[in-house]
Amino acid sequence: MEESTRYLIAGGGAAGMAAAHAIREIDQEGTITLLTDEADQPYFRPLIPFLVSGEKKDSDMFMAGSGPYKSGNVSVRTGSLITWFDPEQKTVYLENGGRIGYEKILFATGSRPYIPPDIEGLDADGVFALRTMADARSMAKRAEQTSHAVMLGGGVLNLKAAFALLKKGLKVTLIVYSPEVLSQLMEPEDAFLIRKALDQAGLKIINGRSAEIVLSGKNGVDAVGLDNGRELSCGMVCIGKGVSPNVHFLEGSGVIVDGGVAADMYTACNIKDAYTAGDVAVAYDPVSGDRMVTALWTNAVEMGRCAGKNMAGVKTKYSGTFGILNATQVADEPFVSMGTVHTKEGDFEVQRSSTAGSYRKMVFNAGGDRLIGAVLVGDITNAGLYRYVIREKKPVDRIKQNIIDHTLHYGHFV
Amino acid sequence: MTQPKEIFVKTDRCVGCLSCTIACAVAHSNSRTLFGAVFEKPVPKSRIYVEWSDPDKKIPLVCRHCEEAPCMFACISGAIHRDENGVVLTDTDKCIGCWTCVMVCPYGVIGRHLETHKAYRCDRCPDRDVPACVSACPTGALVYETAASFSGAVRKSASRELIRSEG
Repeated sequence: MEESTRYLIAGGGAAGMAAAHAIREIDQEGTITLLTDEADQPYFRPLIPFLVSGEKKDSDMFMAGSGPYKSGNVSVRTGSLITWFDPEQKTVYLENGGRIGYEKILFATGSRPYIPPDIEGLDADGVFALRTMADARSMAKRAEQTSHAVMLGGGVLNLKAAFALLKKGLKVTLIVYSPEVLSQLMEPEDAFLIRKALDQAGLKIINGRSAEIVLSGKNGVDAVGLDNGRELSCGMVCIGKGVSPNVHFLEGSGVIVDGGVAADMYTACNIKDAYTAGDVAVAYDPVSGDRMVTALWTNAVEMGRCAGKNMAGVKTKYSGTFGILNATQVADEPFVSMGTVHTKEGDFEVQRSSTAGSYRKMVFNAGGDRLIGAVLVGDITNAGLYRYVIREKKPVDRIKQNIIDHTLHYGHFV
Repeated sequence: MTQPKEIFVKTDRCVGCLSCTIACAVAHSNSRTLFGAVFEKPVPKSRIYVEWSDPDKKIPLVCRHCEEAPCMFACISGAIHRDENGVVLTDTDKCIGCWTCVMVCPYGVIGRHLETHKAYRCDRCPDRDVPACVSACPTGALVYETAASFSGAVRKSASRELIRSEG
């Protein structure tokens, strides 16, 4: 007999788990089945660099029972890769031969690392793209056998992976094609304090170069060849070049895929009883109105919760997502980047301020009456207030100087 | 279930004496005494803030333990959860100091402890009957009541004002 479930969640990441728990808050009865292609139970993906460094162990990683993920009765199937989806029969087919019918389905299959096709030799042992707990475990293992790691790409995840390896005592070299690290999150001059901290922490950074080939021998990776002919001998390589959505199983299903699964304002797909959230979904930016995919935990949870509510019958509008919305700390330098932060092109009013230990850039629209983006480095106090002002499109007239001076507090809204 | 009490703020009563902030820091110190707290490392922090806004309004701010708490859902390490009394708590052991909670809190009431590299916030003083800030407030600007009882009191006081103004 064919198996069936009321709510089928395809994907065990942030969006899938958030949706499952949001459904459970509303519908205590309906069966929820969550499929993940990984061997591990759903976990906090952003923590995997800590698994590489050894600062966290497997048991610290899992979502169930932690934070807001406490409601029970969600049936999780690990090792369940979906290969095909039939909207007519409302059934998904699994690689392991199983098939599951559903009443409502959520596509939250997430993304996987983008592997640049123009670099040769990436199939060698010791080449990683850190995405899963399994990747983290094998990276940690490889790191025991080598003394030099080369990282390709200067995004947040690769920086975190780099620091995990530094903590393990490796020498780490980061190759960044862009003029500066974190180019997705800020402009080069915004990143100077972070760059200083990275340099001081012992991370070697090579800008303006890219890798052309990974050379390997019988023990795996030996060296990386750069586009200027230089060869860096190393024992492992980590690729951090962004992600691409997991949409293969939707081919031919009639679900609109355009850079990801297209979502309407209520997280619904173009076919009946199907929803989408997280990295795989194409949402929209509340600031620019542009449609976009954002591979971010915070956004994935927010959208997943919204989708869960809609699936359980509580119609909820998704308030949209910031393409850029990141807070973290690298090399003891905290920073926040949100909204529109690339201001080289276009008409903006930009207010910068810089001290020895902190930097901030507040981006207003051309008319100067709305805050549309912010970069805070060093002092990130009250960052949430700026997010609130950006997202709610608050008029800034009365509080503009407070924003520029970074003295805004909630009292200004009371 | 009985409704849990919350900390409410009557901004019109606050004189900006900062007694609440000192009491909060002391209540969250190891020694729990002012003299002990002053010398402790890491320095005990207040989880309540008193801000000023024009022309001379004092506004005590403290975690609202929001119903759809953005910090709890944004946390990337599962360090934030809600207890059975509705209090949103940060688990210091699980906190990795990524400051995502700081980035999403619309009230700006989550602090960063730079020495310990951990986020901190109001925990409504689980070991006390009345939170330290409320006990310390000399003007009654902070009250610890259920939402129903507080809004009832606000309504009554507003009606009295109305009657008085109508004379």
